[in-house]
Formats: sequence, C-alpha cells, structure tokens
Amino acid sequence: MMKMRQALLKTIGTAAAILTIGGVWATQVRAQATKRTKVVFWNEMTGPAQQKLNEFVKEFNQSQTKYQVVSQFEGNYNEAVQKILNTHGTDASPAVFQSMDISTSQIYHSGYTTPVQKFVDQDHYDIDKISPVARAFYSEKGKLLSMPFNTSQPVLYYNATLLKKYHITPPPTDPSYSDITRVATQLYQRSHQKVKGLSVEIYGWLFEQFMANSGESMANQADGHNGTPTKVNFDTPGAIKAMKWVQENLKSGALMNFGSGSSASANEMAAFLSGKLGIFLQSSADISQLTAGTKDKLGITYYPHPDGQKANGVAIGGASIWISNDKPATVQRGSWEFIKFLMKPENQAQWQAATGYLALNKDSQQEKVLQELYQKVPAAKVPSEQLSKTKPDETNSGVFLQGLIQERTLTQTAMDQIYNGSNIKNSLQQAEDAMNTYIKSNNQANGVK
Amino acid sequence: MSIELQKIAKSYADNLVLQDISVQIQTGEFFAIVGPSGCGKSTLLRMIAGLIPISAGILKIDNQVVNQLPPQQRKLTMVFQNYALFPFLNVHDNVGFGLKARKLAPVKVEKRVKEALELVNLSEFAARKPRELSGGQRQRVALARAIASDAKICLMDEPLSNLDAQLRGKMRSEIRELQQRLGLTLIYVTHDQIEAMTMADRIMVLNDQQIQQVGTPTEIYQRPQNAFVAGFFGTPRINLLPVQHAVAKQLVVDESLTVNLNQPLPAGKYYLGIRPNDLRADFASEKTNAALRNLEYLGTQSVIHAELDNGQLVRVTVDGKLTAGINQRLLVTAEQNFIVFNEQQQAVLFAERGKQIGTTSNQQLQEA
Amino acid sequence: MEQQVTNNSKKLKQLPQNLSSLKTVSYDVNARDKLHAIWFLGPSLLVLAVFVFYPMLRTLYLSLFLTNNLGKPTVFVGLQNYWSLLTSSSYLASLQATFVYVIAVSILTLIFGLLLAQAASFKVKGSNFFRTVFSGTMGVSVSVAAIFWLFMFNPSIGLLDQIASVLHLPVINWLTQPGWAMTAIVISTVWMNLGFTFLIFFGALQTVPVNLYEAAQIEGVSKSYQFFHITLPMISPTVFFVSIITLIESFKSFGLIDLMTAGGPNNATNLLVYRIYQDAFLNGNYGLASTESVILAIIIAIFTFLQFKILEKRVTYQ
Repeated sequence: MMKMRQALLKTIGTAAAILTIGGVWATQVRAQATKRTKVVFWNEMTGPAQQKLNEFVKEFNQSQTKYQVVSQFEGNYNEAVQKILNTHGTDASPAVFQSMDISTSQIYHSGYTTPVQKFVDQDHYDIDKISPVARAFYSEKGKLLSMPFNTSQPVLYYNATLLKKYHITPPPTDPSYSDITRVATQLYQRSHQKVKGLSVEIYGWLFEQFMANSGESMANQADGHNGTPTKVNFDTPGAIKAMKWVQENLKSGALMNFGSGSSASANEMAAFLSGKLGIFLQSSADISQLTAGTKDKLGITYYPHPDGQKANGVAIGGASIWISNDKPATVQRGSWEFIKFLMKPENQAQWQAATGYLALNKDSQQEKVLQELYQKVPAAKVPSEQLSKTKPDETNSGVFLQGLIQERTLTQTAMDQIYNGSNIKNSLQQAEDAMNTYIKSNNQANGVK
Repeated sequence: MSIELQKIAKSYADNLVLQDISVQIQTGEFFAIVGPSGCGKSTLLRMIAGLIPISAGILKIDNQVVNQLPPQQRKLTMVFQNYALFPFLNVHDNVGFGLKARKLAPVKVEKRVKEALELVNLSEFAARKPRELSGGQRQRVALARAIASDAKICLMDEPLSNLDAQLRGKMRSEIRELQQRLGLTLIYVTHDQIEAMTMADRIMVLNDQQIQQVGTPTEIYQRPQNAFVAGFFGTPRINLLPVQHAVAKQLVVDESLTVNLNQPLPAGKYYLGIRPNDLRADFASEKTNAALRNLEYLGTQSVIHAELDNGQLVRVTVDGKLTAGINQRLLVTAEQNFIVFNEQQQAVLFAERGKQIGTTSNQQLQEA
Repeated sequence: MEQQVTNNSKKLKQLPQNLSSLKTVSYDVNARDKLHAIWFLGPSLLVLAVFVFYPMLRTLYLSLFLTNNLGKPTVFVGLQNYWSLLTSSSYLASLQATFVYVIAVSILTLIFGLLLAQAASFKVKGSNFFRTVFSGTMGVSVSVAAIFWLFMFNPSIGLLDQIASVLHLPVINWLTQPGWAMTAIVISTVWMNLGFTFLIFFGALQTVPVNLYEAAQIEGVSKSYQFFHITLPMISPTVFFVSIITLIESFKSFGLIDLMTAGGPNNATNLLVYRIYQDAFLNGNYGLASTESVILAIIIAIFTFLQFKILEKRVTYQ
C-alpha cells in the first residue's frame, strides 16, 4: 500500500515537472514569435510543390526577423475559393493566399484584396522581369491584381522512343494540327493499332487554348480585360477547326478519348507512361511526373495551331498569390515581402526544377539549377521557350470572367458530345446559349448591368 | 406404419452421440423417448425424420429401408418444441402451408384444413395470427398442421415443454386422445418422465449415448433395469443406499434399516433402492437412527429429508401434514418393497410384498 | 440496428391506437411536469433547431433568390429558379439519370445482397471465408473503391478490357461512353453497397428459426418455395429497412461519381446531388443549388412515402 502511494506520488511529481518545463519552453517560443508580425499564408499545393513551398516559407522566415509566415494547406482549389470568400473579415482569414487561375475575376470582384500593383509602384519593383503573359492573365486594365505564381502552359507531349521504334519523324516544335494528325495516324497504324496516337482530354482549359492559339476571344469586352463580359462565343472558326481535328482523329481511330475529370488525366497519364499512347496535350507542369515515370525519351512541342495560320500563343494556367485587404498595413507589407521573395530568380529557378511549373523571372533561365535540368532533359526547355515567345494580347491572356467553372463544365459537356460524334456547331451553340443565360443571371445577381 | 431401428448410431466427426439403438415400434403405438437433456433423444428423432443423416445402422419404415430417403418421402410429420409456426400467416394458412406448397387442389386443402382445425377445436381462430394466440392454442395449431398432412407417423419433439404445468396436463390428454382417434404411430420425445409415464404405450430411456431400457410405463417403474432408470422415474427420487453385504439373508443399511432376502446374495457391494413411499418414519419411537434435516409439505403428503446416523441421506414420504422440528430424532425403517443393484448399478433383485425376483444379472436367484 | 428500426416501426404502428386512447383518458399535466418536459426536450430541440430547421428554412429562402459571387442573396426571383430548372433539358436529363441510377442500384443491391447472404448461409466448408470476403466492402472507403474501379475500367490498362481483349470481345470505354458510364457507376455503387447489405441480410437470415425450414422440408416444400414463402416474409422488415436505406443513400451518392466520372460523359452521370455540389461549391450559385436541394428533398420524401405505402403492406413484424 505504502509502495503504491509512493509510486503514485513519484508519477505525479514527474508529470508536474514535465508540464512546468514544457510550459516555460512554450512561453519562450511564443515570446520569440510575437516579436515578429505573423503572416498567415493559405495554399493548395500538394506533393513536391507543397514540399518546395514549405522550404521557401522556412527560408523566408530565416532570411529576416520582421515577419513570420505561417503556411496553411487548404485542400483543393475549389474549396479554397469558398473558404477565402467566407472567412474574409474574420480572425480566421489569411493575410496572403494562393488562388487558382479561373477564380481571378471572382476574387477581384469580391473586393477583398489589395492589388499587388500598389506595392509594385511603392517599391518601384522591376515588374518587367516577370513573364508578361503570366502578368496579363492576372491584370485588369493594365493593373496587376495578384502575383502569378505556380504557372504552366499547355504543351504537347510525345513519346520519342516510340516514334523512333516505328520510324516516325517527330513533329516540329511549333506543330499544326495536320502535323500531329500525321504522327498520330502513323503511330496508330504502324503499331497495328496497339498504340493510340493522340489524346486531347475533355478539358475546358484546352478548349480555351484552342481559341487563344487561333487568336479568338471567348468572351466579349476583350475576354473581360476591358470590362465585365456580357456574352461568350464558343462556336468560333478556331474552335470548330480544333473540334474537327479531334473528330477526324477519332474517326481514324488514332485518338483515344479518356473522358473528363481527374480520372481522365490520370488514365491518360497512365496510358502514356505505359507506352499505349503516343501523344497528348497537357499542362507543362506534368513534366516532372513524366520524366520520373518512364524510361522512354520524352518529346515536347508547343501547343498545336490550326493549319495555314501562325500560332497566336496560349494563355497560362495555375494560380496566383493575392494579398487580403482585411489585415493591417504591416501584415500586408509582410505579405508583399514574402511574394517578392518567392519571385527571386534563384527561387523561381528552383521552383521550376522541383515542380515543373515555369520559372516566371526572366533571370531564372541563367540559374545553374535550370541549366542542369535542360542538359539532362533537353525537352524541358520547350515550355519555357513557348512562354517567353508568347506575346500577350486580348485573346491569349486568359478569360477574365466570373463563372469560368461553369464555362468549363459547359464546354466540356459540348466536347463530350462532339467526341461521341455529335454535330460540332450544334453542341457548341447549345453550350454557348447555356453560358449566356448563366452570365445574364450572374451579372444580375452581382449588380452588373 | 411400423418403424424399425437397427443398430442406429450418430457421430459428429470423432464425437459419438448415439450408438446401438435398436427398437421396433408398432403401428398405432405411442412411443416415448425419454432422457435427460443432451442424451441424444432429439438427434434420434431428427434422424428418423430425415432432417439429419444416419451415421450407421438401418432405419425401416413399413419394412422399407429409408436411410437415404428425403424427409418428405418418409410419409411422416413432425411437431416442434417451439411449434415452428409461420408468424406472418394466419392459423388457416399455417395449417395449409405444406399442402399448398405441394400444389394440392385448393378444394382438398380447404377440406383438410377445416377438418384438422375442427379436431383441435380451433375453427373459430382460423383468421388469427400466431402472435394473437395463447401458448396452448399455438400448440394446437402445430398439431392441426400435423393432422392435415395426413401422414400416419407423427414425430413430436418436446411439444409441451413451453407450456405451464396446468396446460401441459390438459394437452397431454388431448394429444393422447388424438393419437388414438387418428390411429397415429407417434414417437414422442420428452425429458419429462411424467409425460412419458402418463401418455406412452412404451418408453425408451436414453442415457450415455445408448438405450437404458425399453418397456411399458409399469415395467419401467417397477422393474428398472438399472439405477439410472430407477432414479429417473418417480418423484421424489428413489433412495439408493450403498450397502456392504456380508450377512447371508439380510441387507443392512444400519441396525434398524434392514431388508430381508429370500435367497442369499453373494457378499460384496450393493445399492439398495427403496422408493420414498416404501420407507417408514416414526417420530414417536424411543429408539432412533436418524435426524430430520428438511421437510417438504406437498398437500396430500410430506417429504421427509433425514440424515441417518451413519451419514447417509434418505427421502421418506408420509401421508398428510407433519408437525416436526428440524433436527428432531426419528426412526427410519423399510417395508419389504425394494430393488437391489449390484456394484455396476444393474438391477439384480426386485422385491414386492415378500415376492422376490432375480434378474438376468443375478443368475443365482430364483423366484421365491 | 435492424432490430431497433423494427421496434421503432412497431411503435409507430401502434401509435395511432395510443393516441386515441390518450384522448379518452385525460392526464393531469401540472406545471411542474411541463417544466420537466421542457428541461428534457429543450436541449435536443435546440440542437434540431440550429442544425436542422434553420438550414432547411435557409435553403428554402435561398431557393427564391439569385445569389452573387459571395453567396449572398441579392435579387428575389420568386419561383424562377424552379421554373428554369424544370424546363432545362439538362436538369431533366439529370433527373432521369438519377431515377435510373437509384432504381437500378436499389434493386441490384437488394438482389445481390440477398443472394450472397443466402449463399453464405449454407453450412459448407469454407463458408466462413466467403462471409468475410462478402462483407469486405464494408471496410472499403469510397476513395479506395473509386481507385479500384478506375483501374478495372481503365481503357488502356484496365482489367476488364484486358479480359475482353483476351476473349476477343469488343473493348468498352467504360467511363467515356454515356451508356456504359452509368453502367459502370451502378456496378461500382452496388459493389460498395454489398458489404453492408450482405451483413444485414446475413444477420437477418440467422434469426429465421431453423425449425421453420425443417417443418417445410418434412412437408415436402421445395427450396425455392421455402425461399419465397418462408425466408422472404421472415426477413421482410430487414428487406424493407435495407430498401429504404439504399434508396435514400443512392439519391445522395456523391463520392464515386466525383472520383470516377465527375458527372460526365455528357452529363450522363450528373446525378442530382453532384449537380448541387457543382452549382453550389464550384459555380458559387447558391440560389440555384438551394432550389435543386429543395427539389431533391421533395423527391426523396415522395419516394420514401410511396415505399412505406407499397412495401409496408407486405412487411410482417413479429
């Protein structure tokens, strides 16, 4: 009995000691942290990108003593948008956050952010160093709203080893639709239909880029960069040409339809990596996954363009970083310092090497880490070249429109129908009508005349 | 429809449940199978029914071997302990269930159901669901179903054990009456010796995986082949008193409690079986050999639990109510009705009012 | 759980009688009793009010508005949301797809669940193993199931199409052809449901007294007659319970669709709940999504009511 009581007392004593020490330690840590301004950063990165991003946060915190950036993962892009809008003005809201490309107009119109242009002007920051196509996407009437961050462009991937095996001449770096049709058909036929030639995922982003690369606006008001769009146009000549190209390859059997959604891109990737698919159009950010996943030699070209006309260039995709306006000036300043840190040439170079997203700082190309990458995988240079080659205009700077998710759903439904053999013009017209109805009621709800 | 069991055995894997069961059951006989729970009596019934396979031996119904026949071809019917009524059907449909399933003409079904319900006095309950009936009524529905099937052999598995004592008494006579009236060959499994004694033409006593005895109720009660059978039948239980036998023509439990033998038994260890009503208790006697330990009053009689001075416990029944205190001294003596069992607990001698009969286990004794 | 539901329904059935008897007997409810009642019922009423009634009313309210990109109702439009949905061919297609899906899933789940449970009930060697296997999908999460079936249905490396090509059968693009996509989703959902359904049915089958089958066997009743006339009526409360649960659950199906087809191809698998999710959480169109929720709630209520009306007549509670 006595022994038991002693043992009990000892345990309690030890526990108390641990608690006290822990408490003291925790207070000290907190004391240190409170000296700095806390900047909460919301992001939606996963995998290697998340890892790299957290490294940046750590490095930034070590590089200075004024700010403490706290990185928080917020799930997928769509969920994050809702959370950002719903927490604004509360203690839970972020000071600086990452939000996806197609939410740009929505976030901007919420009025919850401070355009980064303000800080660019204050600091006389050399914004010309940052890719103009990427900037154009996140600008309204020439004013930069958010800083483009993880950025990609759609490119065309092909399995160079497979082409060599079947003695097929690879496509040129800036291919036309018929260039690709040739390679795809040859691959399909020479492999005795064992290898599918081409895949164009049912993905609204790709549809938008077919129009951009043809030099066509999707929405009026210069794709929304001059004002709130009231109408969209889907059945443009460029869109029809692209869809005809798809149907042509479907008919010959060279094109494989993987459908839409996350499973579609996963299946497409799996088919390509296992050598059952020769060519596909997808984000340049896939490059690291592709080089890691197969021993076959990877080939990359620019996004294909219609025959008989020059490529106009494609818009970017990905996400940008915004500064909330519900936080005090010091916090906003901290957010901006963090953004500047992320955009440093060496960091952008590391970012591209680690993730496949494109380095947006022009000076990054001279960084050693990128030079080494290009040496190892020469094709990796192609997306960067496409990006720097693209001259931003009204049609390839993204669509500045609220409800782009709806637009993608509708264009994907149209693509679905077209891939299953329906009339191109009818399907596109139907989607266009639905979208225009949506825009009308959405503008009404948001008080736009 | 006679039934014949020849050396029937049942085993599960290496576990022997029944062995060497042989008996012939006559047409129209009420045959009870009795034994303590777990003795294999239900197993035996299920083998006869065809619900479980027979491990060894031959089963004949109407002189035809039926070991391999499925239940429905054995032309029998069965009543279960929990009645096995379909809760979702009313009384009428429960009785007609099997007939309908066998695609009997609806008119015939109607007729048979009607007759069966009349026989068990349930006609007015035809539209009720089982849950709206009392236990006895449910039992009668099960009987009606057996009757309606028109089979001449009926197997019953403890059909009355879910009823209260009073109802049980009533149903006993009803079942017996029905059996006689319909001329059924009835095999009736029970653990209740009173049911067996009051209803059956013959009883089979099962224990330790085998037959202990087959006989009429009188034979079973008066001529139990062994101590188990003697102990199983009769309440209160028969007294089994171990005796070290040396004196030639007397078995001595103690000085006062002795029985006389007409013929001498060889010396050795015996068990003296005396039913409680064949012992006498005398509280007035000066000479005593026991002390009262407990007293049970049953109305017409009382049961005395007494401890002999040599430590053995005995049960004695006396008529009427007794006023005696615990630990009161008394003298316990024996009438000359008794059974002697040998060391293996086999009966060797039956004594009745001076008449003494030896058994096959005791070749030396002749009728006196 | 099944037992509980049975009991509750039994109570429900008895309720009308109790109520009428309440009328004749007047209880003397004094103020203290009332206070007690409030103390006991208050907290749960509060919880219901906050988490059930308020969201319900709010949804109803929102369904009459256009909402702006912050989710705030801005323009009152009356029943216009309802009207535009019920006249939209794509919504009607969703509605039809949902009915097809729900009915197919419910019926197939019931049939296969019962079949498996019955098969596993036979006492043969190895039946324990199958019992474990059959109930296996209970422990499988939606995402794992989706990955598994995505692999099965994969057009280039999928198992089903590899088998098909070995057998020289035409290769099916399971998830990209509208008709097949629905089939694929139905198959996956039924597969997911089977573990639970099997377990519930298997449990129910064990409660049927063996004597009933023995009695039938002795009377020469065939196995199939036994199944339809003994087994089914005996487990009818369970069948009823499972059919209601499966129906409601399949109306609410989301995970597999999100992960496998995302409503495609060509909206062939864009079921009502998925549509609500898209409109509310992707398009930020809370008004329209609320309208869709209200319509879905009405549909489920009607179905459940019909099921009670039609099926309950055939259910025997013991």
